[in-house]
Amino acid sequence: MSAPMKVGLVLSGGGAKGAYQVGVLKALRELGTRIDAVSGASIGALNGGILASAPSLDVAIERLELLWGRLSVNSPLNLKMPGYVSLLAAAGLRMNGASAVLAAAHGAKRLAQRFDVELPEWLDGWEDGLLDDKPLQQLMDEFLVSKDLARGLPLYVSLYESLGGVEDIARAVYAELGFADTPHSQFFHVQSIADEAEQKRILLASAALPLLFKTRRHAGRSWSDGGQGGWQTMQGNTPVTPLLEAGCNLLIVTHLSDGSVWSRQRFPDATVLEIRPTKSLARATGFMSGARDLLGFDSEKIPSWIEQGYYDTLHSVGRVMKAQSARNELRASEEALTSLDRESARADQGLADAMSRLK
Amino acid sequence: MSQAPDELIDEVSRLFTCLPEKFVVDFANGIDVLRERQRHMSTRTGMFDRLYDGFSGKTSRDQAEINASLTDGVEGALEWLGELTQSTARSKRAIYQVQLRVNGLTRDLATVATYSADTRYALEQLSQQLGDRCSALEAKVAQIDSTQRAQLHLDSVMARWGAGRFAGLSLTGRCYAVLEELRWGAFGDHCLAISGTGRQQLLEDLANRAIIQLSLEAGVGQGERIATRSRWLARPSQDRQWSIGEDTLAYLGDWSCPDRSPITYAISQTPDELPLQVPLLGSARRMTEGLVSELFLEASV
Repeated sequence: MSAPMKVGLVLSGGGAKGAYQVGVLKALRELGTRIDAVSGASIGALNGGILASAPSLDVAIERLELLWGRLSVNSPLNLKMPGYVSLLAAAGLRMNGASAVLAAAHGAKRLAQRFDVELPEWLDGWEDGLLDDKPLQQLMDEFLVSKDLARGLPLYVSLYESLGGVEDIARAVYAELGFADTPHSQFFHVQSIADEAEQKRILLASAALPLLFKTRRHAGRSWSDGGQGGWQTMQGNTPVTPLLEAGCNLLIVTHLSDGSVWSRQRFPDATVLEIRPTKSLARATGFMSGARDLLGFDSEKIPSWIEQGYYDTLHSVGRVMKAQSARNELRASEEALTSLDRESARADQGLADAMSRLK
Repeated sequence: MSQAPDELIDEVSRLFTCLPEKFVVDFANGIDVLRERQRHMSTRTGMFDRLYDGFSGKTSRDQAEINASLTDGVEGALEWLGELTQSTARSKRAIYQVQLRVNGLTRDLATVATYSADTRYALEQLSQQLGDRCSALEAKVAQIDSTQRAQLHLDSVMARWGAGRFAGLSLTGRCYAVLEELRWGAFGDHCLAISGTGRQQLLEDLANRAIIQLSLEAGVGQGERIATRSRWLARPSQDRQWSIGEDTLAYLGDWSCPDRSPITYAISQTPDELPLQVPLLGSARRMTEGLVSELFLEASV
């Protein structure tokens, strides 16, 4: 209780559901929470970039609301080639069955290479990304003020070293099926990177969904969506480690998936306050609903996620703080009682003296 | 977005400025985590979902997480319960101490109350004694004052007698006038107020001084007897007669009767025949003592 509080905010990845984090920030602002450092993966890295580059939480929220308002009207996803089915399959990393399709496609490609068989051209396009990230870059240029990032909140993003889009997805599929976990993502302190363009490249790399967006190069290696690392424990998608190493003693972790497998048990010494959805984050129903939510940049879903993030945060933080309040009151009452004891002893002595004079 | 619950925000924003305890966070936040995981698991009931989760190991991982969270929750509850129990024990001890102090205070209060009652009784006694003492002193002072005034009155009247203020009356008329003036003044009041030997001594002193003065004015010794009619009751010469004084004596002595106060009667009412109890020859002592006796002893009965 006496240690100074250093709060780290962890913004997980989750595509369009990143709007949820806007609601989280609004609630934290109303609760008067100070944020000392932020880490993000994927869409969380982009949100974190805007938060870290803003002069205040109010400005950050204002920019994020504008950004997400824009996203709800104009989706940042521009297809470089037709193939909606491929897009959905690629985006639905966590959708049952979709990954199997991708693995089959990847296997087919390898077999075709081995036996020198030609496959359709659109399959080759997967390696460089199906989507054009220029709209996303434009939005970042507009809302992320690079020159302010240096003196903003410390920002950490997770990046996953890419071996190529299909290979990355294959590794994720193996991990999803429980055969072997993906390699851990690596965490980068954005402010430690001097070049502003490189900083933005890092942020875009963190959000580069395999196959959907092209990978980015940094330090001689290719990087893609940091959420892929440590797949089975969500090590990369929920970047807690850099904040702990930065000295944060209270972590607020936001999750953007129902039933996130990330576990606080792996950080036994950290004080972690998780903000999990109190009701399902799924908005779409039916076939490939997960992928449609992941890429669901539309005017119906985004406001509802913002609102849910707001109320879920109030609920989760409120529950903890009510419990803490009860303990604080108990402790305060005990301290008051103790101090009163000393005063009572003095009063008793005074009375005893007076009574001895009486006798 | 609908309005947030203001009360919650107000309450929590006041609290969220210091680091919460880890086990409290784990305990309280763990409930949300558990509930969310269980809610998610409850949606994975389709056959494919169950097969997929079982095959990929998700079911066992989720269950392990739930178990771990439950264990954390129970440990947190145990820690909290332990602290609460200790706090309750401290509170009970505090209540015990308070009870001890209340008992002590009650005993002290009883002592003070007893002391107060005793003090009040003692004060009442003291007040009574002081009152009695003051009354006695007051009476004594009044008596001294009365004695003083009686003496002053006696001295004053005797001085007037000695100065010849009553020379217009007969010899015994002068004595009678002096005694009447004394009887109706401070001296008489004092005589009525006292009794016993004090009164006896006072009247004796009066008689002695009157005998001396009367003998002196009659020009005889104190025990020398002379004729009552011609000497003691004789009116002074014509030029010295004081008719108003004689009338006053008659008025003052109109209560007298020949049987009970013969000398007074003979002096004030100047009868032609002297009462039988009046001697024909009398000394200054006999006349004076007779008058004193009739005026201060018999008349007062």
